[in-house]
Amino acid sequence: MEEKEPEPGSGGVELRESDRIRSEPRDTDVVPVRRGSMPFDERPAPPPARKRGAMWPWLVALAALLGCFYAAASTQSFITWLDGQEHAISCSVLPGAEGAIGATGCRTAMLSPYSSVFRTSLWGGIPVALPALAVFAFLAAFAMYLGLKRDTNRRDTGFLLLGTLLPVGVSVAFAVISATKLGEFCSTCIGIYSASAACFILALVAHLRALPAPVGTPRPWGRWLLWFLEGVAVVGVLVGLYIASVPSERVSVTRGCGQLVKQDDEAKVLLPLGAKDGGFKAIAVLDPLCPACRAFDRRLHASELDQRLDIDVLLFPLDSKCNWMVKSSLHPGACVVSEAILCAPESTQKVLDYAFAEQERLLELGRTNEAALKADLEQRFPEVKGCVGSAAAKAKVNKSLRWAVANALPVMTPQLFVEGTRVCDEDTDLGLEYTLTQMFSRLGGSIANRN
Amino acid sequence: MGIAVLGHIVPLVMALAVPGVLVSGWLGDAQQSLAASEPQSSKAVTASVAEEGYCTAELKQIVRRVAGACGLLGAAGRGCQPADASKVVSLSGDDFNKLFLPLKDRVRIIQYDMAKSELDEGGRQAVESAWADRGGASFFFVVSRASPEGTVEKNRELSEARAKAVLGHLTQRFADPDIERQVGLLWLGEEFAQLQGDFCDWKRSRTGEKCDDKDINRSAFIAWIDCAI
Repeated sequence: MEEKEPEPGSGGVELRESDRIRSEPRDTDVVPVRRGSMPFDERPAPPPARKRGAMWPWLVALAALLGCFYAAASTQSFITWLDGQEHAISCSVLPGAEGAIGATGCRTAMLSPYSSVFRTSLWGGIPVALPALAVFAFLAAFAMYLGLKRDTNRRDTGFLLLGTLLPVGVSVAFAVISATKLGEFCSTCIGIYSASAACFILALVAHLRALPAPVGTPRPWGRWLLWFLEGVAVVGVLVGLYIASVPSERVSVTRGCGQLVKQDDEAKVLLPLGAKDGGFKAIAVLDPLCPACRAFDRRLHASELDQRLDIDVLLFPLDSKCNWMVKSSLHPGACVVSEAILCAPESTQKVLDYAFAEQERLLELGRTNEAALKADLEQRFPEVKGCVGSAAAKAKVNKSLRWAVANALPVMTPQLFVEGTRVCDEDTDLGLEYTLTQMFSRLGGSIANRN
Repeated sequence: MGIAVLGHIVPLVMALAVPGVLVSGWLGDAQQSLAASEPQSSKAVTASVAEEGYCTAELKQIVRRVAGACGLLGAAGRGCQPADASKVVSLSGDDFNKLFLPLKDRVRIIQYDMAKSELDEGGRQAVESAWADRGGASFFFVVSRASPEGTVEKNRELSEARAKAVLGHLTQRFADPDIERQVGLLWLGEEFAQLQGDFCDWKRSRTGEKCDDKDINRSAFIAWIDCAI
């Protein structure tokens, strides 16, 4: 399995003088000490040399196991969501902390398009935490192997060091995505980043403290390739197992969750978001101050599937000021923002983008000072001045809500209808890309037949 | 060599087996949970028109009969005359008025000058405000009256003109196709269900002006009815 190599310091091979000069100074705990001045042959055998820097690979293994823990927590959270139900998400750097339901950085990260790959081919895709788990598991196993190995030298630790660069590189990439795209950091992800960094630093120390490679021996390319293939195999087997076992039969994707019964819009409450010629007709039911709608909008945009949809927006503010279907204002101020959008339909995209971008502030204004919210919107969008708060604007919002009544829509946001078919709620987050891709492929044929 | 190989193989097998078993278990749980939950219908309530607490079976029956007789159910609102109203509701004038008591917060009373049917500025604003305050209501009632001065015939015409003035303003201001379908006109002249002075405390278009039994009947009583009919 391995090339036979001399064991430096073991006494089995005598080093040449030139080798000694090129070798680095040794630690005192590994250099055999000549005792007294007895003739060499009469001296007792030196005690077995302790391997130099032997503890460091074990520390790398510990750091990798920590990475395993966080990657496993993320993978588990992701997998529990595959059933389409709402679940608590483990979002703590402290092992054993309880999961949280509702908005957390981990939820944002997990439901973002960056949490998995191949999302159009597999419902939810393959969570990136899964290969991370495999990589950390391999690094832990490899580091343990080096800890057990008697003749570990820098050619071994060099491979370990190179291996730790993978989680470090990926962690840096995902940290940048979290900062620039998501605007939030997930605590479990921070655990993974920290474990990656710890693995790298400890692997670096292990490398520096390891015995130098024997001079004159060729680089063990064959052994490195074998280790590399072992790592690839661990990742491949785990990913393969996932693909083979992931739930694939989904009634929600094939059937959808209902149909629109009354699509005509004589009151002009469906607001186009920039028509895409040839796109599938879609209706997004949104509340401009609803965080889930903002997240949905971002997911749809990031997936680029919005490019294939000709989307109209139906405003459905979950604010009891105008919506009799909710008993309390889930999103105070949503009625006012909806009025502003309906006052200037040509600015729908702009006002909606603004409402999503400034959501927390606008919600606070809606909760504390509705007049200030109105003034804010009028200052930002002069075209709505004099209209927001008017009877006509209120009547328009009412019409929008009545469109929902006419179609017996669920009182919730967001909702998405594609060519009249409602995308099930459980398919609007992790499964959005897969579900829409399947719908496009199904509808592509039926629309072609219709034409 | 044997120990070295074991030292290499055992951790590697563990690296494969432990995550593999964990992931398989989680996926199995997800599969079971998915099978138990699909097909999933939304747990959210369905959007519907309002149904307030005052919508008793009796009230709804009367509203339905009035609305049907007055052309609101399935046809364009055409309005009802006093005779129609008293016939379909089979109620005394006082009992008819009592139907509206629970709607005190919803009703606006549009006041007119004596022998006039034109809306003043306050009246127009009150009509617009009432229309915008629709909420989840299904029907918009305009019940107009005239004070007892003048002939019965003249007062019937006057109350009809007052109801139509409200409808005309709504049509002109909102250009809403629902107006034809959901606005019911009921003109009562001086013959049926005259209001008593205590209605002066309700939301009137001429707040602050004097109000007595005669003033309050030179009016149109407008309100959305929050009942699913």
